[in-house]
Parts: sequence; C-alpha cells; structure tokens
Amino acid sequence: MFEPFRHWYEHRHEYAREWKSRTSGKVVGCFCTYEPEEILYAAELLPLRVYGSHQPSSVTEPHVFGMYCPWTRDVLAQGLLGKYTYLNGITISQSCLHFRQCFTSWQKHVPCEFSYYLPMPHGIQSPHGRKFFTEELKKFKQALEKWVGREITTGELHEGIEVMNENRRLLTQLYELRKAEDPPLTGQEALWVVASAQMTDKRDHNQALKELLPKLVDRKLDREPGVRLMLIGSENDDVEFMEMTETLGATFVVDENCVGTRYFWGEVDSERFEDPLEAIAARYLERPACPAKDWPELSRWPHIERLARDWRVQGAVLMQQKFCDPHELDMFTVKKRLEEMGIRTLFLEFDVTTPVGQFRTRVEAFLEMLRSEDLFAEELL
Amino acid sequence: MITAGIDGGARAIKVLILRDGKQLARSSALTGFDQQATVTQALESALQQAGVAREELQHITATGIGRKAISFADSEVTEMSADAKATVSLFPQARTVIDVGAEEGRAIRCEPDGRVKDFAVNEKCAAGAGTFVETMARTLEIKLEEAGALSLKAEKVIPMNAQCAVFAESEVVSLIHSGTAKEEIIRAVHEAMADRISAMARRVGIEREVALVGGVGRDAGFIKALAGKLGMELFVPMEPEFAGALGAALIAAERARAS
Repeated sequence: MFEPFRHWYEHRHEYAREWKSRTSGKVVGCFCTYEPEEILYAAELLPLRVYGSHQPSSVTEPHVFGMYCPWTRDVLAQGLLGKYTYLNGITISQSCLHFRQCFTSWQKHVPCEFSYYLPMPHGIQSPHGRKFFTEELKKFKQALEKWVGREITTGELHEGIEVMNENRRLLTQLYELRKAEDPPLTGQEALWVVASAQMTDKRDHNQALKELLPKLVDRKLDREPGVRLMLIGSENDDVEFMEMTETLGATFVVDENCVGTRYFWGEVDSERFEDPLEAIAARYLERPACPAKDWPELSRWPHIERLARDWRVQGAVLMQQKFCDPHELDMFTVKKRLEEMGIRTLFLEFDVTTPVGQFRTRVEAFLEMLRSEDLFAEELL
Repeated sequence: MITAGIDGGARAIKVLILRDGKQLARSSALTGFDQQATVTQALESALQQAGVAREELQHITATGIGRKAISFADSEVTEMSADAKATVSLFPQARTVIDVGAEEGRAIRCEPDGRVKDFAVNEKCAAGAGTFVETMARTLEIKLEEAGALSLKAEKVIPMNAQCAVFAESEVVSLIHSGTAKEEIIRAVHEAMADRISAMARRVGIEREVALVGGVGRDAGFIKALAGKLGMELFVPMEPEFAGALGAALIAAERARAS
C-alpha cells in the first residue's frame, strides 16, 4: 500500500533522473523548507529537497566545521560525492548558519547552471516581514524568469499555489487518520509519505495520495498501537529509528519537525491578497516556525500543544540533531511545557548514523516508564 | 516463590536468586564471546549454591545490555527499571539512583514504589564509566581493587581537564613524568569521573536520598569524589554490582504473582 512512497524514498535519485528524461524539465535542489516551491512550479521547474544519506563520510571536513550539525554535513557530502549531479539549479531560503555555509560550499564546489540565495527574513514575527519577503520573492521570480528565458504569469503562480496546497491538504488528511484510537498507519509509513513529498513531483505525489487515502479508511494494522508517541525536532528522515521504536510497543501518531508538519502545515490563502507573491510570503511567515527564526515569542508552541492534545499523545521523543543550537535552546521550554501537560519526554541526540542498540534501551526504558502502571503486572516487555 | 534475575552486563554477567524476597544465592562470570554459555554457567552455579533445581524457578527476568541474548528468560526489563526497583527495596528512602558500570553510567529518579520517573544515560564517553578507572589503573601499574584505597590517601586534588578517556591517559602520563604521586593521580581520575556522572545526575534532577550501584560502587575513591560533588552522603549496597540482577529478580517475582 505504501510501496510507491517507500520506493520514491529509497530510489529518490532514480526518480529525479527518470522525471528529467520523461519531461525534459529542469530540477532545482532546495536546501530548506522555507523555499517557496510555488514559484518554482510556476516556472515549470521541479523543486526537490536535498537530503542526506545517513552514511558517515569525511568529505566535508575541508569545507565546514566538524561542529556543524550532522544533517547539514550529510547534505553537503551528497553534493561533494556527486549524488546530485542531475540538479540544474540550487537554492536556499535563508536558513540557519550551518545550512547557509553548507549551501555556499556546495555553490563553490559543485557548480551548476543556477544558484540563488533567497533572503527569507529571520524576523518572521516583525510587522515588516511580509513586505520585505514579498519584495524578495519578486526578485527571486525575476531571477528565475531570466534563467528559464520567459515570463512567469500570474495564472502560473496560482497553478503553482494549487499544486502545493493540494499536497498540503492531502497530507493533512493523512495525518487526520492518525488521530484514531487505532491508527491505520505507522509512523514509519507516514514518514515514507511525507519525506517522499519532497523527493518527487507534487503532481505524482498527489495522485498517489489520492489513491492511498480511500484504502486507509478500513485498514487495520496487525498490531496493537501501544503507546502514542509524538516526534519533535529539526529534521527526521530516519526510518530505521522509527521502525525500531514502533516494534517496541508504540506508534508515532504525529510529529513536529521540518519533514512532517512544519513542512506542510497551512496553505497559501490567495483570497487574502491580490498579489499571489504576497500570499505566498504570508504563508511561509505564518507556518509553524523553525526555531532558527522563532523569536522573541515561541510561536511554534501553540502548534506543538495542539498536535499533542488533538492526537492524544502520551509521550514525546525530543530528537536533537547534535550541535543544532536553535533547537537545543527551545528544547528546555518545550520539555517543560509538555510535562506541564502531563506528557513525558525522552531527549535523544542524533548523529549521521543512529546507535540503534543504545537508543533501543533508552526507548524501552521510556516506554516502561509510560506504562509503569502495568509494568509489574503484565509481561508486555 | 523462587525467582531469578540475570543482568547481562558489558563486562560481567550477574545472577541472583530470590525466595520470597530473600536472597538465596548469587554468582557472576565475565561476559565472554559466547554469552549464552556464560549465562548458563553462572545460573547453574547460583542454583547449586542455593540448592535449588532449575525447574523450581518460577520466573526468570533478564536485564542489562546483553538481555536480548538470554533466550531462556521468561521476560526482560531495562536496566533503568531494574536499578530503580532494587534500590528502593534496599534503601526505601532513596529517590535517585546512580549506576556506574563498566561501559555505561546512568542516573534514574524513581517513585517510592520503584517506578522510574526520569533517567539519563551516558554511553558516549568512556570518562564516565568503569572502564576509565580500569585503563588509568593499568597506566599507573596498580590493581583496580587498590585504586579506591590509594585515592583516599591523596592529600590534594589535581584538576584533570580531559574530556576523553584516551587523552586523559596522555594527561596521566604527563603527570607521571612530572613526578606526581600515584594517589594524587588516581584521585584526579576519580574526581574527573565524578564530574561527568554528577553532571548527568543533575540533568535528571537529584532527589534525596541518593544511592550508588554498579561495579564502580566498590571503589571507595569514586564514592568519596561523587559524594563531594553532590554535597551529600551516598547509600551504597554491600554488593553494588548485583543491583541490576536483584531488581530483575524482584520484578520476576511480581510478574510471577501477576500471571
């Protein structure tokens, strides 16, 4: 049932190459989820997120510091190792320091036809943010027009918005199903779906989602859901970790990270603004924020709180990419507030590879803690 | 009711047999490559000591990093739950337990009935585990058992800034070359280790009273250093390395009663 999504996840590069030969189109690698993909679709380009591989590599050592987060180093390594040679362009929507340097290193060492640094404001809570970002989106659109050699029309922008919005709607419907007492899909399966949304043409992905959703209505997993977990953190495409945790008597029912809900939550509302670029700007400024941009208020908290409450979460795994300071600074408050809601947390620090054996014991102990009322009465461990 | 707890540790396998909550026997063996054989041997030895036949064991619970390899166990439990259970049975007033074994250090906060409230584990850095003292003892050409008594003789504390067990060894070698007394060097090692472990315990939150279990609980020098860092006396059982096995045996008894 999840085979197409899993296949895309596992064979992302083959998909991109096949797409190019099928459409004769151009592919743009995106380094951050603040990338306005709507405009790329409007220009008939294919935006794909650049992912890491979870394989240790030393090729980034001459280019970025060892204390840059494992995710950014892993991403840069993919470029240096020649895994993304099919990209015609690359772009970053101003992200954290580690990602910015990873992007500029890629620009320098893995040249391609087009590269663009989009100054997405860090001050997303500033009243001037939308005006600033709208102007930057105009410049971005002009740069794309120059590259593809034609004008991008307002109609095309609306089409791009609709492709993206449809994907967001369908992914939201998928997540709604996970609210059920006995969710019809595991967290690992949900991860294949959301991660592959950023590895494929959204029109292919939307089609596959439309075929998947009706099949899930009556699906019953051949396992008990166990403890309902939420995953909170920066980036996660670690299917191995999801699988390990879910075989221990738990199900991830929802997440707050930039592969999952922070990526697809909230649509572009074209009705609100006459200028579609301003509507796009507003969506990205108002989506659940990345901690790198989320100040002075912790505006992502209401999103976390709502997900934890509505998906009836019993425990939260705080997934910390080693050396990711913006996330680590937020973790204290997030942990404290979740615990005030009666939701216990497990903090785990991730590197390029996952120490499955060590994490297993810690996850098991966490689950024992959550089930402690039954711990000594039942042999469920 | 007779039950057994088996703790498959990184360095040693510990077996403990209980009858109605009272210890009948315990044995330990070094963890070899063939874990199953070592575990069987340790269990047989404990059964013999106890004068109990294997069939009389109503429930066996396994814990420790090697618990998955103990195929004949009836159930398993993590080290955190086993430690917490054992600690409150030994010291009913304890609410925090610090377990320092050969290759892992952990701190657990628990309820009065032994349920785990929160925990933290150090498994990334050898400077917070028993192997660290062992390596340093080798460098100092002393027996591991002598480290504690020697450390207590030190008259001053030398700071040791090493973050890594391997580089700490270089630091120890430098101290040897500069003519520093052995007791002061081993004290520095204990202090550095206590720094690591107390930082981890503070992350979990320290609730009085605090117990220390695990093999390193035999090292008087480490006990003194850790008590100093935490600013309180520690409860240490007579045989701290058997705490995990005891907790597992107690949990085995509860599970046998429930089934």
